[in-house]
Amino acid sequence: MKKYFTIFTLSWQDELTYRLNFVLWRVRNILRLLLTYFLWSGVFLVNSKIAGYSSSQMLTYVFLVLVVQSLVLSAPSGDSMGGEIGSGDLSNYLVKPLNYLKYWFTRDIASKCLNLGFAAGEITLLWLWLRPPVSLPANFPALMGFLALLICGIFIYFFFEASARFIAFWTPEYTWGLAFLTLVFIETLSGMIFPLDLLPAGLKTILDFTPFPYLIYYPISVYVGRITGPAIFVIITKAVIWVFILSRLSRFIWLRGLKVYGAEGR
Amino acid sequence: MSVIEVSNLKKFYKVHQKESGLSGSLKSLFKRKYYDVKAVDGVSFDIGEGELVGFIGPNGAGKTTTLKVLSGLLYPTSGHVSVLGYTPWERKPAFQKQFSLVMGQKNQLWWDLPAMESFLLNKEIYEVPQIQFQKTLDELVELLEVKDFLKVQVRKLSLGQRMKMELIAALIHSPKILFLDEPTIGLDVVMQKKMREFIREYNTRHQATILLTSHYMDDVKQLCNRVIIIDKGKLLFDGALDEIIKKFADHKLISLVFADGVSREKLARLGEIKEYDPPKAVIQVRRADTSAVAAKILQEFSIEDLNIEEPQIEDIIREVFTGKDVA
Repeated sequence: MKKYFTIFTLSWQDELTYRLNFVLWRVRNILRLLLTYFLWSGVFLVNSKIAGYSSSQMLTYVFLVLVVQSLVLSAPSGDSMGGEIGSGDLSNYLVKPLNYLKYWFTRDIASKCLNLGFAAGEITLLWLWLRPPVSLPANFPALMGFLALLICGIFIYFFFEASARFIAFWTPEYTWGLAFLTLVFIETLSGMIFPLDLLPAGLKTILDFTPFPYLIYYPISVYVGRITGPAIFVIITKAVIWVFILSRLSRFIWLRGLKVYGAEGR
Repeated sequence: MSVIEVSNLKKFYKVHQKESGLSGSLKSLFKRKYYDVKAVDGVSFDIGEGELVGFIGPNGAGKTTTLKVLSGLLYPTSGHVSVLGYTPWERKPAFQKQFSLVMGQKNQLWWDLPAMESFLLNKEIYEVPQIQFQKTLDELVELLEVKDFLKVQVRKLSLGQRMKMELIAALIHSPKILFLDEPTIGLDVVMQKKMREFIREYNTRHQATILLTSHYMDDVKQLCNRVIIIDKGKLLFDGALDEIIKKFADHKLISLVFADGVSREKLARLGEIKEYDPPKAVIQVRRADTSAVAAKILQEFSIEDLNIEEPQIEDIIREVFTGKDVA
C-alpha cells in the first residue's frame, strides 16, 4: 500500500517540476471556461430559455464543467499507457511486483487532486469577478448524488481510456488518431461542451446507452436539480454498472494483450 | 542446486512482411503474409547459484528473447522454464522481488526527478526495510562513485552516470538473480571497465547469479567463466571459455618478426599465411604441428622475434557463427 502513496507524492513532484508548463496548463483551463461562459452569456442575451435551461442554469452548468472536468477528465494515464506499450517501456513495470492499472490510477488521482486544489482557487477568483448566477446544490441528496456520480465518472473515464489504449498491444505503431478520436467522443458526448439536453431527443436516447454522459452531464444535472428524487438512485446505479463493465473490459483486454506483448524496443 | 532450469525452450513469433513503398503499405492493409520467426528453437541449460554466465551470439540469435522469457515478459511457445522454483510468466510478486532485469537503454528512472526519488519508489515497491535500504544504497553509491549526483535530475546526468543510477535502482532490493542485457553498450572504455569490475564485485560479494548478454567479447572474457553461445535460436556451445578454443579451433598462430631475408613462398610452405607485412608475418598452423613448424622456422630463417598464440576468441566465434567448419 505504501508504494502507492509514494507514487502519489512522486506524481506531484513530477508535475510541479516544470512550473511554466503548469501555469500554462492552468491558464488554458481558465480560458476555456471564460470562452464558454461568455459565449453562453451572449446567447442568453437573445433568448431567455434554451432547451429548458435558464440563463442562470446554463451558466451554472458552464462553471461546474470546469470543476467536474478537472476531476474526471484529466488523466496523465491516457497519454502514457499506449505509448509505454508501444515503446516497450511496459517491460519495466511487468518485471516488478506492481499492478500497472493501479499504478496509473494512483498517478491519475494525484493529478486530479492537484488539479482540484488549483481549480478551487480559480473558481473562487472567477466567481468574484464574473458574479455568475451560479447556485449551490439544490439539496443534500443532490450533493451526495453529485459526489457519488463524480467518483463513478472518475472510474469510468479511467477504465474507458485504459481499454482504448490497450489496443496498442496489437497496433504498436500506435497512432494518435485513436487518441484523438476518443478525445473528440469524450469531449462532445460527455456534455463538456454543451448540456446534452440540447441534442435531439433520439440522439440523446442513444447516448444514454453509452458511458459518456455519466462523465460530466449527469453529475452536473443532479447538482443543479434537473434530476431529482429516486431518479438520482437510478442514475447512480447505471453509472456503477458502467464502472463494472468497463473495468472488466479493460482487464480482459489487458490479459489478452500481455499474451501477445513482444517486449520490443531495446 | 540449479536456480535456473530451462528445458527445450521455444519461442516463435509471427511476423508479417511488408513490401516496400506505398503500394506495399496499401497492400498490407488487405492481405498480409505471415511467417514464423523462430527466435528461440529448443534451448536447454541449467544455471547454479552464484554463477556468472555470458550469453553470446550475433544479433537476432535469441539471447535477449531468452532473457525476456526468464524474466517473465514473454510467454514461451513451448518448453519448461523454472527460475528459483517459479514459472516466470506467472509473475508472482514473491518471484519478482528476487530478481532484476537491466536492459541497456531501457530506463526505469523518472526522467524529471532526481534518481534518489526513483530509488525510494523501488524501495516501496519491493518492500525493502529502511535499514537494509540505507545499507544497500550506501554500498552501491560507494562502489559506483555517484554520491554527488543523487539529487540531480536524471535528465541532467551523462549517459554513464545515468546507467550507474539505473543499476542502483535495479539492485536496491538485493536481487539474487540479475539479468543484464548488453550492460556496457554505448559506454566509453573507462566506463565499460568500471561496469565490469562492478559486476564482478557484485557477484563475489553477494553470490548473486548473473546472466549477461553481450556483443563485446571483452565483457565475456573478463567476467564469465561459463559461456553459452546461441545462434539462430539454437544453443551451439555451453561451457568454459577456454573450452571454446579447444573445441572449435584446431590451429594456432605463429607471429614472426624477421631479422632479414624473407621469402614469401618459402614461408607459405610451412603454413597458411594470415598476415604478411615484412618484416612481420603471421602464419596459421595445425595445433599438432606447432612445435615442429616453429623449430623449422628458427632453423631456416633469421628471426628476431617469434610468438605462438591461440587464435582470438572473436575470430573463432565469428567462424562458428558463419558456420565454417573449424572443428
